Amino acid sequence: MLAVKFQEGAAWPLGGGFTSERESNHVGLLRLLSRIWDAITSFTRPPNAATLFRRADLYRQEGRFEEAAELVAQGLRLAPNNGVGHLLSAYLHLAFRQIGPAKAEFQSVLDLDPYHPRALLGLAKIALEERDLAACRPFLDKALQYYPDFPEARALQEMVSSWAMTPAPAGQRPAYAGPPIQVEKLKPPAGGREFVLTQADGTLVFSQQGDKDAEDLAAHVTQVYRIASATLQRAGLGSLRRGIVQAVTETTFFRSNDRLILALSFPQDVKVGFGLLETDKLWTNSLRELGVRA
Amino acid sequence: MSPDPAPPARPASARAREFRRILAEMLKIDRVRGGVVVAADGLVITSSLPRSIAVEPLAALTATLGRELEVGADRLKRTAFHTALFSADDGTVFLGSSPVGFVVVLGDREVNVGLVQWALRKALATLEGTWGTSVPVPASPDDM
Repeated sequence: MLAVKFQEGAAWPLGGGFTSERESNHVGLLRLLSRIWDAITSFTRPPNAATLFRRADLYRQEGRFEEAAELVAQGLRLAPNNGVGHLLSAYLHLAFRQIGPAKAEFQSVLDLDPYHPRALLGLAKIALEERDLAACRPFLDKALQYYPDFPEARALQEMVSSWAMTPAPAGQRPAYAGPPIQVEKLKPPAGGREFVLTQADGTLVFSQQGDKDAEDLAAHVTQVYRIASATLQRAGLGSLRRGIVQAVTETTFFRSNDRLILALSFPQDVKVGFGLLETDKLWTNSLRELGVRA
Repeated sequence: MSPDPAPPARPASARAREFRRILAEMLKIDRVRGGVVVAADGLVITSSLPRSIAVEPLAALTATLGRELEVGADRLKRTAFHTALFSADDGTVFLGSSPVGFVVVLGDREVNVGLVQWALRKALATLEGTWGTSVPVPASPDDM
């Protein structure tokens, strides 16, 4: 900015309209000093909203979310109806896992621009987290309607396109209609817990737990399977076969083919080799029970 | 007063460098094909992927996967996940959770899964340290 001002200064007609060369030089010098003063004070004046948002975005891209959030809050106080500010605010709420405020901020962006693709994608992702597929799809469709070359939205749309449109409410989900299962043959190993077997469409086949918990667990296992499968395929690695999720108090092992998903948890200190071995045994027994080839 | 105080947080400007360094370390492991550090909103903070893999779609999916693991655990009243891996016939996706989002590593079918998991745990502990908290890491991959 400083450079531009100096270039403008150099382009002034230094001699025009003055009675003497000395007077002309004097005014020219004053103008130059005035420009330099303006340039210096532009660094000390409080930044405007656009500058704050630009800085906030840079901080956000470096993972400096707290500082970015402070700048966005300052910027929105100066420009409460700024779409960029609300979008950044939404992203930062998501980064802090504050879903309600993020949703409200994405909605504020859409109030200003109903076809803002990033706000539509943001709301689609939140709907996906909430397992509200009926809400998720229209956001993605709308984003892609106006911006067909939007890779993130396209990837999510391709992923959800094959999922059932509206998941049945808890307690009314489709029941497993395959061959009967002998429960005693699907006994988890010592230490094993939360054993669940589902179909790829989310239908619960078998669970170690009570009905309500089993449905919630099956829904989560199915969702993990679907998103992990889409991720593996996007990375060119093929279809999901195994998974291990390590948490603070438990480790969960997944096993799947294209139709069935098995999940089994152990206490966190389980040896991975043991968990894999026991999960494989249970998987083999499950397939045998269901009359499915591995 | 805590008997074991957390180390002081590093200056925030160190974070971006730390992400790049962590990813570079992961990429040194044999058979690792690439990796991404992605925020929970899907923002790519740093990445290194084979040319055949577009970064934005992969980041969107891995962030969605990471969030499902977080949200699902919360719904089921389970504890938060710290690492996960998902294997297919031709390779494995590793995912680590951190305050900034998710560290994602792609390995081919011959990748040493235990070694990557251990390195990922170490990387996450470093990231946690950048945020001023500390996480224990097993001394070697065999201890996992």
